[in-house]
Amino acid sequence: MLRLDITDPWIRWDWLGRHTDVITQALLQHIQLTAIAVLGGLLIATPVGLVAWRWRRLRNPVLSVSGVLYTIPSLALFALLVPFTGLTVLTAEIGLVSYTILILVRNIVVGLDGVPAEIREAATGMGYRPAKRLLTIDIPLALPVIVAGLRLATVTTIGLVTVTALLGEGGLGQLILAGLIQDFKTPLVVGAAGSVALAVAADVLLAGAQRLATPWRSAR
Amino acid sequence: MSIFAEVLRWFADPVHWDGTFGIPNRLWEHVQMSFLATLTAAALALPVGVVLGHYGRGGNLAINVSNLGRAVPSFGILVIAVQLFGIGAPPAFIALVALAVPPIVTNAYVGMRDVDPELKEAARGLGMREHITLLRVEMPVALPVIMAGIRTAGVQVVATATLAAVVAWGGLGRYIVDGFAQRDDVQIFAGAILVAGLAMLAELALAGLQWLATPKPMRSSLLRTDRSGADASIVLIPAT
Amino acid sequence: MRDWGFRAILSGVLGLSLMASGCGSSGGGSPSSGKPIASQFVLGGPPECPTRPFCEKGLMDKYGLTFKDFKPLDAGGPLTKAALDRGDIQIGLLFSSDGSIAAKGYVVLNDDKHLQNADNVVPVARTATVKADAQAILNQIDAKLTTSDLAAMNKLADIDKQDPSQIAADYIKKVGVTGSGGPGKGKIVVAGFNFSESSILAQIYGQALRIIGYDVSYKLNLGAREVVEPALERGDIDLYPGYAATELEFINKGKGEATPDPAATVKALNTYLQPKGLIALDPSAAQDQNAFAVTKETADKYHLVNLSDLAKNG
Repeated sequence: MLRLDITDPWIRWDWLGRHTDVITQALLQHIQLTAIAVLGGLLIATPVGLVAWRWRRLRNPVLSVSGVLYTIPSLALFALLVPFTGLTVLTAEIGLVSYTILILVRNIVVGLDGVPAEIREAATGMGYRPAKRLLTIDIPLALPVIVAGLRLATVTTIGLVTVTALLGEGGLGQLILAGLIQDFKTPLVVGAAGSVALAVAADVLLAGAQRLATPWRSAR
Repeated sequence: MSIFAEVLRWFADPVHWDGTFGIPNRLWEHVQMSFLATLTAAALALPVGVVLGHYGRGGNLAINVSNLGRAVPSFGILVIAVQLFGIGAPPAFIALVALAVPPIVTNAYVGMRDVDPELKEAARGLGMREHITLLRVEMPVALPVIMAGIRTAGVQVVATATLAAVVAWGGLGRYIVDGFAQRDDVQIFAGAILVAGLAMLAELALAGLQWLATPKPMRSSLLRTDRSGADASIVLIPAT
Repeated sequence: MRDWGFRAILSGVLGLSLMASGCGSSGGGSPSSGKPIASQFVLGGPPECPTRPFCEKGLMDKYGLTFKDFKPLDAGGPLTKAALDRGDIQIGLLFSSDGSIAAKGYVVLNDDKHLQNADNVVPVARTATVKADAQAILNQIDAKLTTSDLAAMNKLADIDKQDPSQIAADYIKKVGVTGSGGPGKGKIVVAGFNFSESSILAQIYGQALRIIGYDVSYKLNLGAREVVEPALERGDIDLYPGYAATELEFINKGKGEATPDPAATVKALNTYLQPKGLIALDPSAAQDQNAFAVTKETADKYHLVNLSDLAKNG
């Protein structure tokens, strides 16, 4: 059952050397697609999350709907979009942003919820107006959970970007697809390992940023 | 005719309910594979996670395994599996098991760690032996979190099984991949609906299982049982 | 909840019964007399094969063949070959310019009823972005391209695992493409189908266009024609390397206008393309057609030489 083709080793370093431009381009596209998805998601998720947090009646519907929606497998989501938006970056981004929004909204709500009521009341008692309290008390204290959501959203998106290779995008996923079509292990390994490395690097970077942003918390 | 009307017609067409390419067969392939892969992953991952959590060892390993597991692209794993094991069901199965193991391990670990140490002390004080404590005291308490992990893994498996159609397996993803190739928008849409529907059913079923596994006093409501049994940052993973 | 043993047994039984019922549906027929050979065979090919006039649909219409089942794999690629080797399929769609057919000892069944037509390589482009100078250099390339060039390049990709862009660069250097141009000529997106020959051709076209100053980007392995052609119509891409007869039968929805004459086929093709702002340029002498292949064992066992042999009982 195991097929080991000795003529095609898992990594041919000479291939790597000759294709640094292809790999770099794929990496850059991967980063670009991820950045747009996460930042765009954050842009949309922040107001939605704030609203869901403030108005209790909206909260359960928003969380339930998002919980149900992110059950939809990514290939299915892209498939639903293709008849309308074609095989374009737009389709890829709509799909990717949908997933980041779902993660971030949930974490924003949960994070803000986690701010102890006594602290909020103390701030109000000290004369903080709602907007100032939000910006200087609620959000900073909710940051760890929000950044945890950002980390999850980023890592997840980096994985999902590879699927967009089926839409003609893909970033490092293009190397994986090339490996499948050409029955060639090296680009496959470079694409998959590169994607993992990128995800780990992004996660570490964001964790570091979180520590910088919340110096009052000991590193968890 | 709008695409929605055409999709309804597609579902009404008896041709799509018959044979290898019919909905019943593809649905069966998908459910069977997902069930077996999740079960196998649980059989492999639970002992590891439970034991590690009980002894409080390898915490970093458990968390890092889950982080790494989340970072690995499922598409990449599938193609690597095909390189190793050829085409058909075996590579899909192995790739799915590999993807399902990390969330189960992590949640089992976290669930066991979160058991109140006083509970364990009390059990030990009563003279219970180590493995009895583990099975009869700790695991039931940790069960909700463990089930959350299995639920996450299960939905992940159903989703990735969709992708396995790209490496020449069957399942419901077949409609999407074939539809892409034949530029049959109706088939693509119908396939997406079937896949999304199955994923949601799986989520509901596993949520129900998680609810059943939660001791009565700790239950909130079926609808609000979410997958974040423990820390939201660790266990919430959308389906890839 | 207390009774782990019961749970374990239940799930074990469930799992085993599922596995047992699911197992054992690999294809393959032992010769049983009185039934057409085709009805004992599983056909393997790309997912679009059942609807394609030069693929399963054509085999049904022209040869009267009905297969036992169809297995969607890939476009004459490694998955199809693996399936042939494993016996998951008895007959598979490969491409006539595939370098590994000989190497693996497959037997291509003769197209004795001439289902395939002039599938000469031809660039299909948007006239708005691929202008006269670009068209000229593409025609220059096609004039020099031969079928044996294709076979040689395919072998480099499939067996030696060379990268299509490298193969293309070497080819361009070998044949010598003349032309020059400064920057600022405009952007062209070149797409390829999901098999390596298409990636090679797309790279050849793209690199040639870059020589004369176009800003070229690629969307390789984009998919089957059903995906790529609409993308061209929509303007998501500007150019792809097509195959004349199959392009024609795709765009005329299987009317049967293609002939073995490449020039006439391309002329007919252009009558459909022009209203869409598209054009098929000069066809090359290089051809790549669908080739239905079986393993040597299968060919010997059923005495297969021509495709029409599949209609015989065996």
